Amino acid sequence: MTDPGNHDDVGNAVPVIAVHDLTKTYAMEGAPVHALRGVTLEIRRGEFVSVVGPSGSGKSTFMHLLGCLDQPDGGRYLLEGRDVSRLSDDELSAIRNRKIGFVFQGFNLLPRTSAMENVELPLLYAPDARISPAERRRRAETALAAVGLEDRASHHPNQLSGGQQQRVAIARALLNDPAILLADEPTGNLDSETSVEVMDIFQRLNEARGLTIVLITHEPQVAEYASRIIRFKDGRVVSDQRHASRRAVAGAPDSRAVNS
Amino acid sequence: MRLPSTLPIALRALRRNTLQTALTIAGMTIGVAAVLAMIAIGTGARTAIEDQIRAAGMNLIVVTAGNYKVKTTDDFGGGAVEPSAALRLWSLFEATLLAHPEDDPMEKHDHPTARQRLGDAEAGLGSAATLLSSDADAIRRIRGVQYVAEGLRQNAHVKAGAKRWFTRLHGTDQQLPLIRRAWIFPSGRFFSAREQSRAEQVIVLGSIAAERLFGDGHPVGRDVTIWNQPFRVVGVVTTTSWMIAPAAGDDQFDAVYIPFRTMHRLLNLTKLNDITITAASTGDVTRIMTDVTTLLRERHKIADNAADDFTVTTQARQALARGGLRPDVARAVVGNVAGLEKVTLEQLGRTLDRATRTMALLLAAIAAVSLVVGGIGIMNVMLLSIADRTREIGIRRAVGARARDVRSQFVLEAVALSVAGGLAGVIVGLAAAAGLERYLRWSTSVSPGAIVLSVGVAAAVGIFFGWYPAKQAAALDPIQSLRRE
Repeated sequence: MTDPGNHDDVGNAVPVIAVHDLTKTYAMEGAPVHALRGVTLEIRRGEFVSVVGPSGSGKSTFMHLLGCLDQPDGGRYLLEGRDVSRLSDDELSAIRNRKIGFVFQGFNLLPRTSAMENVELPLLYAPDARISPAERRRRAETALAAVGLEDRASHHPNQLSGGQQQRVAIARALLNDPAILLADEPTGNLDSETSVEVMDIFQRLNEARGLTIVLITHEPQVAEYASRIIRFKDGRVVSDQRHASRRAVAGAPDSRAVNS
Repeated sequence: MRLPSTLPIALRALRRNTLQTALTIAGMTIGVAAVLAMIAIGTGARTAIEDQIRAAGMNLIVVTAGNYKVKTTDDFGGGAVEPSAALRLWSLFEATLLAHPEDDPMEKHDHPTARQRLGDAEAGLGSAATLLSSDADAIRRIRGVQYVAEGLRQNAHVKAGAKRWFTRLHGTDQQLPLIRRAWIFPSGRFFSAREQSRAEQVIVLGSIAAERLFGDGHPVGRDVTIWNQPFRVVGVVTTTSWMIAPAAGDDQFDAVYIPFRTMHRLLNLTKLNDITITAASTGDVTRIMTDVTTLLRERHKIADNAADDFTVTTQARQALARGGLRPDVARAVVGNVAGLEKVTLEQLGRTLDRATRTMALLLAAIAAVSLVVGGIGIMNVMLLSIADRTREIGIRRAVGARARDVRSQFVLEAVALSVAGGLAGVIVGLAAAAGLERYLRWSTSVSPGAIVLSVGVAAAVGIFFGWYPAKQAAALDPIQSLRRE
């Protein structure tokens, strides 16, 4: 992280994410679709935020914008104080590489490639410095150890369970020590038990490392693991609540039904 | 992301799709192998033809004593087909005699007309003994002349022990093997300049003559007898050319060679029958012919309105006159082409050039077609592969690959495929060329340049045909690619 300061002291730090009046419109078969109609919010360092809302509420578009996979039509997006809403494709790629870790519903690991090589992938695209293979390996091993998969380094995705695959994906997202971890329905393809495991990892990363996490989900139970829940509807934020009684894996061992 | 780190990414991606990679490489391999084998056969054939033509003497000029054009208009050219045929008939007749008068040179040269007999025996068509060694020396000084060999021709009985063989006897210069480029000496050597200048009694046997006189034995170092004089055999000559095979009755290998000075000494002569000249460059042949004519007319003090007392001709003309044509046909051909010199060596050279160029164009066309087909194969596989790996592209983009990183990855994949195919193709092509040479006895030739060219062209094909698919891959929207199942 660029700011090595105290994560608990969020009050006087620059917000990790600050968006102001963000809009995005798609042209779908001629008719414009207003995916985002002016979203303004801030996310501070060390927050664990859930973004919930029904399909078509604009939460996925919001995540793509936060992840610098797409650019807004209007408004501003400051990532760690830097305006990233008007950057070139190459600059966006560099930001994705250094500042953002993605975890997807479908894991998105390279097939026929070992867990180790999958985790190393972001380092192959490090924009400035060339990183030696030994250094890549060392960092990938550390990241795999952080998700408890150090003994699965040479396994290919098809030799791993869904939960393990998602943990490899998390290790990959952690590799470049990102400013934010964006998780898009990370438990959508997992059964309830493994969902709990994955959410446990997110919570631990958030608490132990102060990692900023933005979790997109349409499942209320999953959203409850976060400390703040933002609700989207029709391209607007309809509620933004601190969630004092956040759900903890340790205290809620009961199985939850996961609807999809 | 620069080349050093994109290359391992590309190679790793290829390793993951082993079967697809192997099939694409195989396609390119066949293309490049075909190209290389074609080049090998083409250059091999061309080299072989050029060698043979050079060996056959495209740059050869022959000056013959006498000029029977004065007497006849339907002449044959410089050859001596009929005299030798007549002599062969004569030999049948005289074989019944116990001793031929020519067997004893002393007896022969006591005859008052002996000095003319050489020319008479040679021609019968009007040839005369008009050329001298000094003429040959003067010709040696003409610009562009490479080798000169003066010679006399006779027919003689050669005896080795109990065996006799009536054959062609050439008194010639030691430079003759340099002119007859296809000549090789399976045993021994040609006579030396020293043996020439001392007029030693040494002899080189044509392979047919050697076989008739010594069977399968080794003639070198043994003696033969001509005109009751002993000659020591120093070598046996034959040819590598496939255009001229040694045969009984021919002029080169059913023949024996002695130094012309030896012949002059023994027969007490100064005349020559012919002077054989090679031009250093085939382009100079016509000019040298003119120079020789002018020179000899001057030396022989021939008035402007008088005819030459010699004939200057070329190998091409001689070949046409001799080339197995029936005498009447040959007469018709040579007679109707008023001055066969019009078919100059330059023209023949141009024809050869055209043939070579046609062959090269044909090869280039075949090469181009195979490479385009190979390239389309690569493009097809790359497009399929990109459709197949859209998600992979999305993942790479999400973790920070720039569009150009994706593009260079796919271009490099295409190049790696084509170069791997190219290298395999070189190996297969070399093997194919070697096989053709060994089993079909085609002559092939592979230069290092051809190999470098094949691999280079393969790489270029990879870049060219990989560029479009790679551009498509780079242009994919990351979000759409990630959604793709």
